[in-house]
Amino acid sequence: MRVAVVGSGYVGLVAGACFADLGHTVLLVDNDQQKLAALKGGQVPIHEKFLPELLDRHRGQRLRFSEDLHAAVLESDVVFIAVGTPTTEQGEADLSYVESVATSIPSALNGYKVIVEKSTVPVYTSEWIRKIILRHAADPDSFDVASNPEFLREGSGVTDFLFPDRIVIGVDDERCVSVLRTLYAPLTDGSYYQRGDAIPRPDRAQIPPPLIVTSTKSAELIKHASNAFLAMKISFINAVASICEAVGADVQQVCQGIGSDRRIGHRFLNPGIGYGGSCFPKDLKAFRAVARECGYDFRLLDEVMHINEEQRQRFLRKVRSALWTLRGKRLAVLGLAFKGGTDDIRESPAIMLVETLLQEGCSISAYDPAAEVRAREVLPASVQFAENPYAAVRDADALLILTEWDEFAALDLERVHGAMKYPIVIDGRNLYDPESMAEQGFTYYSIGRSAATPEVRSSPSNVPPRAVENS
Amino acid sequence: MKISVIGAGYVGLTTAACLAEIGHSVRCADNDEGKLNLLRSGRMPFFETHLETIVQRNHAARTLQFEEVENAVKGAEAILICVGTPPLDNGDADLSAVANVARIVAKHATGHCLVIEKSTVPVKTGQQLKRQLQLYAGNRLQCDLASNPEFLREGTAIHDFFHPDRIVIGVDTEWAAAQLREMYRPILEQSFHCPVHPQCQHTPKPALIVTDTESSELIKHASNSFLAMKISFINMVADLCEATGANITKVAQGMGMDPRIGPAFLNPGIGFGGFCFPKDVQAFVRIASQAGCDFSLLKEVENINKRRIDRFVEKIRQELWVIAGRKLAVLGLAFKPNTDDVRFAPAIELIRALVRESAIVRAYDPQATEKAKAVLPNLDYCSSPYEASADTDAILLTTEWDEFRALDWERIRGLVARPLIIDGRNMFTPEEITAHGFHYISIGRQPAFSSDDEVFSRSKLGAALP
Ligand SMILES: NC(=O)c1ccc[n+]([C@@H]2O[C@H](COP(=O)([O-])OP(=O)(O)OC[C@H]3O[C@@H](n4cnc5c(N)ncnc54)[C@H](O)[C@@H]3O)[C@@H](O)[C@H]2O)c1
Ligand SMILES: NC(=O)c1ccc[n+]([C@@H]2O[C@H](COP(=O)([O-])OP(=O)(O)OC[C@H]3O[C@@H](n4cnc5c(N)ncnc54)[C@H](O)[C@@H]3O)[C@@H](O)[C@H]2O)c1
Repeated sequence: MRVAVVGSGYVGLVAGACFADLGHTVLLVDNDQQKLAALKGGQVPIHEKFLPELLDRHRGQRLRFSEDLHAAVLESDVVFIAVGTPTTEQGEADLSYVESVATSIPSALNGYKVIVEKSTVPVYTSEWIRKIILRHAADPDSFDVASNPEFLREGSGVTDFLFPDRIVIGVDDERCVSVLRTLYAPLTDGSYYQRGDAIPRPDRAQIPPPLIVTSTKSAELIKHASNAFLAMKISFINAVASICEAVGADVQQVCQGIGSDRRIGHRFLNPGIGYGGSCFPKDLKAFRAVARECGYDFRLLDEVMHINEEQRQRFLRKVRSALWTLRGKRLAVLGLAFKGGTDDIRESPAIMLVETLLQEGCSISAYDPAAEVRAREVLPASVQFAENPYAAVRDADALLILTEWDEFAALDLERVHGAMKYPIVIDGRNLYDPESMAEQGFTYYSIGRSAATPEVRSSPSNVPPRAVENS
Repeated sequence: MKISVIGAGYVGLTTAACLAEIGHSVRCADNDEGKLNLLRSGRMPFFETHLETIVQRNHAARTLQFEEVENAVKGAEAILICVGTPPLDNGDADLSAVANVARIVAKHATGHCLVIEKSTVPVKTGQQLKRQLQLYAGNRLQCDLASNPEFLREGTAIHDFFHPDRIVIGVDTEWAAAQLREMYRPILEQSFHCPVHPQCQHTPKPALIVTDTESSELIKHASNSFLAMKISFINMVADLCEATGANITKVAQGMGMDPRIGPAFLNPGIGFGGFCFPKDVQAFVRIASQAGCDFSLLKEVENINKRRIDRFVEKIRQELWVIAGRKLAVLGLAFKPNTDDVRFAPAIELIRALVRESAIVRAYDPQATEKAKAVLPNLDYCSSPYEASADTDAILLTTEWDEFRALDWERIRGLVARPLIIDGRNMFTPEEITAHGFHYISIGRQPAFSSDDEVFSRSKLGAALP
């Protein structure tokens, strides 16, 4: 099939590369000249596992890049809209990019085409897209609008796309279902997975993935509701972590206990410094606005956002209580991306924390395996970037772990200890076990667990009185 | 092991009977003499699938005995506290029964014993209990304390005992951990003769999660609060579906296929009820605030839940206009199927609201009628769904009993005054019901109208389309 993907960001680029790998002819469109030039020149503008391989495999053959949207639509059977949908001042989704793409489509409808919204958009957007196209005197029989929300996660985008938990197709006319089914057929009939050159299968993959067909509105709601639910799961466990700290319980044990209930599940029960990224914060706000539009006050979502902000403040208080004063302190920061495995720093809690700490007069030496380039663009020049974690911690008054990169969970602790001025670790991602950190000579603070210090293993006030055996 | 179980309610009696079934010698105690006598005479104080058989078998074999609390604790190696912990007016859990039991244990228990809190209690209750035991027993008694929250669900309690997802034990001595491991050994190894289904040896072994007492106490409240939150969330999304014309069944399906979310507990309806969720959420909010944390997230979960009944009444009003004087059949009283428990059941609350508006309510439930009579004595209770439906203006489905899935709709169609079904549990697809000539109103989906009534359906559908 001939596919145009408009918007070559995280979603568009991954989707385009994967569609090419499924055997389709793909034209990736973007209005960012620099990005296109980079892509054409063989560069990979984002950090995504397996993306370089796929681009190498298909670039210039089944996968081409263009800035000419009109020409791209003319040449295609299916047009995916994968442009950004940022948040407006009012907290709604800004759909102007989507609209501008939609207005360019009618003049290029030289035959029946399916227009698919891949961007995360509020319910009713597909109807708007349809209306916009019709307003430009397009023939109603020459197109359909479908919704095909994307559930990939940055960092594992390619794998998520090719091994999805489910494919959701929202349509209002039967006619376009077969087009979308054909597009995804190599996944849903399992033939892709039999290929020798398929991207390696992750654990827990469901093969072949289920495909569900809904109305466009249901599909639009599925995406917003899923993200809102996951954000709520994170905020829930963060709130529980705060209670754990107050009563001297251990949130990791609590997570084990509640996560082993199959109706809850372990995943996303990770206490930390709050969610970030380009999706959760914006999608939550947008979903909130959707509800308001419908006449509902979805205050539950306000609480989710409130806990998320509070979580950063709590972390700052933790840093303060560990270091007393902040002015002039030298802090090592491991991790700037909003989560491990990606170079994306949009709405990253790590970046926000670094900014606040700089304002408080700390000096920062930071290391991130992938996000340094992007972080340099937004952080003040006073931030030093280190080559590796060990260079970052040199002479530091404390080490802050802010992103759950795998390599941060496997540090050579002796080396870290030796390099630091004071062996204080404040771990916003619970990557280490408090007791063993104390044994290694660190004073260790984490989320939802008692602090651990080398002399007294855990702070005395938090230790429950021992059993009354034999007394 | 010699085990005594204090409190012969849903949790206590189930636990006692099942522990006897896996080979322990169990004495089950209660301070309600009537209940003890009932049990001694072989009758059940409440309905729970499979329970009666297990109780009777073990009672006959004398592996399960019913006694006063004072006697039961003597010589016990393990004492499980399973008494009720209902909410006080301020939302705190009422722990007076737990405290009473502690005093009796302190006075009458002997030897080295393990006191296990199984009732759902606020975090730090274990510490209080320990102090009480020490205070009242002094040096007389050697006893350890453990927390072992119960996750069974009424209706599937026996199954849940034998095949739990996990067993959580909160301990602070090795000895306590060893005792509990021994007590649950057949369950942990899945090496028992299953009384529920004989061929179930292949079930996965449950996880044993060993924590400190505080964490274990938190796990129970946090789990129930999370599940309640899941229900309130999907109920909100269902409202959005109604407002936008989306379909909650599809939306929940699409969400539930994400393994980080999971399909369980994504069923929209008239809200969560029962003896556990409402009180545990309330208690968790209180626990948090006493620990200096503001858990407004959960207050919103409660608020959403409180509005469910009002919204359901609104749905009824939209169809019937004036509710006063209308005859309504309410099918289902228990807070969920396969139980006769009506404590904090949404159906009961709904009936109260309808009666307040002077509706004429006829109710039916396969098991819960007796229990409901205690709280709603002046209601018209029927002995079958057909009797309840006779001459009614609408049938309200309020508990998803299997029995209701297999109703003879043709027969009911002939009985009712008006063919209208308002389903608070989304038990059916709209087509299943409209095919029998009913209008079908459910949660988070568009109203569906039988083709029999064309004028009605066209006007209504027209209005429903955005
Ligand atoms: N990033 C994720 O993990 C993720 C996951 C699922 C869904 N989504 C959704 O997908 C959408 C895209 O997200 P993203 O992270 O890929 O964003 P992005 O900012 O990385 O990419 C958007 C791209 O669209 C291009 N663009 C904007 N306007 C254009 C126009 N008029 N014509 C052509 N190109 C244009 C931009 O130059 C940019 O390259 C958003 O709605 C997002 O919510 C993102
Ligand atoms: N019902 C459930 O599904 C469920 C599930 C998990 C946990 N729990 C928790 O387990 C506990 C018990 O719940 P339940 O549903 O079994 O309650 P219940 O009301 O059915 O049973 C409590 C029993 O304790 C007895 N009792 C009260 N005070 C006593 C005393 N001082 N001495 C001896 N007996 C006394 C009562 O007579 C009653 O028989 C509660 O904390 C509840 O939150 C219940």
